Amino acid sequence: MTAAASQDFVGELAQRHLDAAYSLGRWLLGNEHDAADAVHDAFLRATKSADTYAGGNARAWWLAIVRNCCLARLDTRSRDRRNVSIDDTTGGSDRAEQLLPHSEAGDVEDRIDHAQRQALIVHHLNNLPIEFREALILREIEELSYREIAEVLQTPIGTVMSRLARGRALLQKALAGTAAGKVTHGP
Amino acid sequence: MDHKTAQANLPLYFDGELDRAASREFEAHLDECADCRAALIGLDDLRRTLRDDAPRHTAPDLLRKRIEKLAAAQASRSESIPARRSHRPPRWLAYVASTLLAFVAGGVATSLWQGSPRNAETAEAPAGTQLARDLFASHWRALAATSPVDVVSTDRHTVKPWFEGKVGVAPVVRDFAEQGFVLVGGRIDYVGSARVPVLVYRHGQHLIDVFVLAENATANLAASSAQNGYRLEPLRLGDQPAAIVTDMDAAELEKFVRLFAS
Repeated sequence: MTAAASQDFVGELAQRHLDAAYSLGRWLLGNEHDAADAVHDAFLRATKSADTYAGGNARAWWLAIVRNCCLARLDTRSRDRRNVSIDDTTGGSDRAEQLLPHSEAGDVEDRIDHAQRQALIVHHLNNLPIEFREALILREIEELSYREIAEVLQTPIGTVMSRLARGRALLQKALAGTAAGKVTHGP
Repeated sequence: MDHKTAQANLPLYFDGELDRAASREFEAHLDECADCRAALIGLDDLRRTLRDDAPRHTAPDLLRKRIEKLAAAQASRSESIPARRSHRPPRWLAYVASTLLAFVAGGVATSLWQGSPRNAETAEAPAGTQLARDLFASHWRALAATSPVDVVSTDRHTVKPWFEGKVGVAPVVRDFAEQGFVLVGGRIDYVGSARVPVLVYRHGQHLIDVFVLAENATANLAASSAQNGYRLEPLRLGDQPAAIVTDMDAAELEKFVRLFAS
């Protein structure tokens, strides 16, 4: 690939999968600002290393770069504690409980509106260790195949499978926990 | 399919990573097993919750504009560099270019004159060893992964069409379970930059990879080689060249090769 062609290729690729890249950034970094900056970093890095793209799944290649940029940001963030600014939802662990209405189990479903259900799932996802969270997001939200996820995470497929299984089990347990909580809050 | 296998296959089935025959087997088990049905419904509920309730983050317009601008700037830069140069080339550049060109042309002529057979030979030997290195590396990579196969099947009628759908090549798939070499499944792997089908067999504790190679690929592959206790043995699979990589000992390997020839 010539330099110009590979630049065009990266530009096109990044724009086509910009939502996926940004979404991954949001789930890994928590806030809009960092996610956008990480995608920006990723774009620059991708254009620089376009020559190293050796065929295969282009979306997975691009998302792998985005992920690396996110992890680099997380790394500097953990070294520099002043910048901790994860989304609204990880603020307090008791927040999920606050969102739940204290009423009969029967009409709980009706009472929790979409925003509350959304806050609940975001809360539980953000509570998951990052390796399970990213595997779940890539599979369930971005709908990547095992092999694509393995390429993004740079791990063997077996690791992808075990992380997905563990992530799903943890999330199911967490959701069941708040569901049980709902009932006990009733009269 | 017993319950334990079904449980292991459940997420694969749910994620659409199980081949057709294994899916059918799994569904047959599902009809009889309430536990597996409940587990599957649980996974489906979780997926629905995630897809319905988890927020979809779309890239903000500001970011989209930023990337668009960067991409456009980069595209125009890579176009404008040669344009600007050709616009007004400095005089010394032309001079250097002409001497350089003469030098290169001389070099090419000399190397041509020295004769191509020798060059071709030296180029071919590394290609062969490179291929062998790739094959060993693929085998080790597969061993390091939790599962050395992409499609789990002991049924050769499943493995063959699976390959056809993935790489457009349908290798001859034979099962030698009766002779002690059990077909475990198949996977797609890279050899150099080519995607090739790999048939995976098991013999006792040994894993055997049979790489189905492109025509003329084995031409420059040495008869057989060994590395770190692993052996590589080229063979023909029907009319396709192939190569076996395994850690079996020489006698067992020979037996396996003979099975293919029979």
